[in-house]
Amino acid sequence: MSHPQAIVLVGVIISILTLGVVTVLGSAKDENSTFNTKQFGGHTPGYGTYETTGSVLDPTSLPTDPKNSVVDPMKFLREFNHGRVSHSANGSTVREFTVIASDQSTREISPGVNYNVWTFNNTVPGPTLRATEGDLIRINFVNNGSGFHTMHFHGIHPSEMDGVFEGIAPGGKFTYEFIAEPFGVFPYHCHIQPLEEHITHGLYGALIIDPKKPRANADEMVMMMNGYDTDFDTENNFYTVNGIPYYYMHHPINIEEGKLIRIYLVNMLEFDPLNNFHLHANMFNFYKTGTNLVPDEYTDIVTMNQGERGILEFSYKFPGKYMFHAHKTEFAEKGWMGSFLVTAPENAVNASSFTNVTTAITNPTNGGLS
Amino acid sequence: MERETGIIKDSISKKKIVFFGIVPFAILSMMIVLILSYPSLFFSGQFIVVPEISIEKVEFEPLKIIATVSNTGHSEVSIVQADVNDRIHSAAMEPDNTLKRFESARVIIPFSWNEGQPYGIGLTTDDGTRFEKTIQFATLTPQPTLKQASNFALIGTYVGVIPVMIGLLWYPFIRKLSLNKYNFFLSFTLGLLVFLGIDALLEGNEIVVRDISSAFHGQMLLIMVAILSLVSLIYISSKLMKNARAKSSDPEYPVYTEVSKEDASNVSSVQSSRQHLIIRPVALSMMIAIGIGLHNFGEGLAIGAAVLLGEVALSSFLILGFTLHNTTEGLAIVAPMARNKKLAIAKLILMGLIAGVPTIIGSWIGGFLYSPLATIIFLGIGAGAIFQVVYSVGSWMYYNNNKVLASLPIVSGFMLGIFIMYITGLLV
Repeated sequence: MSHPQAIVLVGVIISILTLGVVTVLGSAKDENSTFNTKQFGGHTPGYGTYETTGSVLDPTSLPTDPKNSVVDPMKFLREFNHGRVSHSANGSTVREFTVIASDQSTREISPGVNYNVWTFNNTVPGPTLRATEGDLIRINFVNNGSGFHTMHFHGIHPSEMDGVFEGIAPGGKFTYEFIAEPFGVFPYHCHIQPLEEHITHGLYGALIIDPKKPRANADEMVMMMNGYDTDFDTENNFYTVNGIPYYYMHHPINIEEGKLIRIYLVNMLEFDPLNNFHLHANMFNFYKTGTNLVPDEYTDIVTMNQGERGILEFSYKFPGKYMFHAHKTEFAEKGWMGSFLVTAPENAVNASSFTNVTTAITNPTNGGLS
Repeated sequence: MERETGIIKDSISKKKIVFFGIVPFAILSMMIVLILSYPSLFFSGQFIVVPEISIEKVEFEPLKIIATVSNTGHSEVSIVQADVNDRIHSAAMEPDNTLKRFESARVIIPFSWNEGQPYGIGLTTDDGTRFEKTIQFATLTPQPTLKQASNFALIGTYVGVIPVMIGLLWYPFIRKLSLNKYNFFLSFTLGLLVFLGIDALLEGNEIVVRDISSAFHGQMLLIMVAILSLVSLIYISSKLMKNARAKSSDPEYPVYTEVSKEDASNVSSVQSSRQHLIIRPVALSMMIAIGIGLHNFGEGLAIGAAVLLGEVALSSFLILGFTLHNTTEGLAIVAPMARNKKLAIAKLILMGLIAGVPTIIGSWIGGFLYSPLATIIFLGIGAGAIFQVVYSVGSWMYYNNNKVLASLPIVSGFMLGIFIMYITGLLV
């Protein structure tokens, strides 16, 4: 070992090893310096809470910023737009709506996640339009987007009102006019190709046509099942009901014990061939497409393909918190879950929250309808 | 007159040289300032900044998965959601969820994971892009406890120290060989070393592909480190040899003793000429030991990292494979110094330790603190060191065989060396 060359080389090795040891010690030092500030992870049964000095990434317990949110799911839930009502010469009811398509805004669709949404009246899903069978529906459609858009309604109407062959150019306008028939639940969406692109970006909503003899009085709500493919790999990154993942998990929907609940459920999910709805600790009557007054099924789970929809009716026998979610559990764990908070009538939170909200806002740029 | 102008021209041209040296830099800086201040002058439309993050390491602790992520894109990025197997989970990010360029952070996901199962860990940035890293085999991340450290030490001893020591036992056998057979074993050693050098580069490349973001140009880094290591070691060793020669009594003392043609045919005269080279073979052996030590350090890093990353369950078969593979390394060390008259047992053992012990140290570092970048740097240094040894042994043989390497014992030894390594490598 007297040779200087060898000594230098040994020196090189020693310094390399020292470097490694120093790195180990350096990183060990980092881990010791924790000041406990925030808790996370506690909401999931079976997991402890953890404390962190850093940022919490928690879509299931943090509300999104309402200012930039793509929709207010609580407002959307019971908001039915009956349009501006007038009467035609023959005495039938005319309901006039204004719907504006846009495709330039980037909004928060899940806590921290910003996505370029294409919207009808500034929200995803678009407004729920409501009429009674036989009414004349008139929709003043304005395309404020940068590309062609249309409104295509399901239901019975003439060819030129189908919103398929007459694309509306950017800045263009079109009036869709048809008699509301038959009664039921119908999706509407943009029908410009690529369809998948226009739909998955958010251009859809629900049209409810009530039977002439109204259904029984109920606490009514609309639930639109959708998804977002935020990284454009033709797979959904987020699944929701009413636009924001997990929203009704941290904002449970208040309902009254024993009260009839009616949900207008529509599936506008892209990419995945099916979606479903499962109600906990209860059963519901299901009216497929809502076109019949006799229930098709008494069940606790309903599975729908793209564009399918129906009406659910149920009431809760016991108070407490109950989940509802996609029984395709993958979707549930990517955002499609929510909860009902059932309270006894005497403890009911606010009776007014159960009455249907009827809006006739005249300023369409504000997200309202006229 | 002409001469005067010539002088003036000279002084002008010196200024000109300075001027022309600066001009390109001045223009370049103006360009940079202009582009940064008025990007719209040069580029129409928006700059689209594509976020890029890379999940470098995933650790498994009881009821917790911890991912280390770094921002390898060109701009600041926020990470807003975490998932396991594409299912969103609540998580925390330390120090925080906004990463500047090349900054890294830890994402802590409370999760009840199962031993031995594969997991995909996903992170979503604020523009909705999801990045994923797949772990083949979830296993409790080794904690730097004494027990785990001694486990690694035991594995390192079996894989690194014992095989090299076994290989050293060939020393008396090689001592008795004729020149041709000796050449055969020496070139056999060269074959082993070339294999190990290439192996280190390939292993480094695997890590680059698997764990290193393209932003770091990992392949180029690996090759560059190997070349730097090779060139600087060649320079250092030749410098040291020159100094040694300067100090010796005979100023004409050659680095490599050249042997005349008549002498070459005579084994005894070769041995006598080697009298002058007593230091050289020992130094060569030492260099080989160090080179192999660096290689084994990299091997240890790889073993430790494999355990950490859950890539392999270290089986007894795998350890046996490494043992067989590394036994040949002992042979490489003894070959050059086998012709020494003096038996140097102590030196041999020391060399064996230099070659073998780094495996243990490597497995500690690899197992407790896996850094892909550090690993490829070590592997690059190791590869360079091995190629330097190949160069030294090669030139030593070249001068001791009358500048002829294309003899049957040498060529066949070299080829067999590579082949044996390949065969034993199949066991790993």
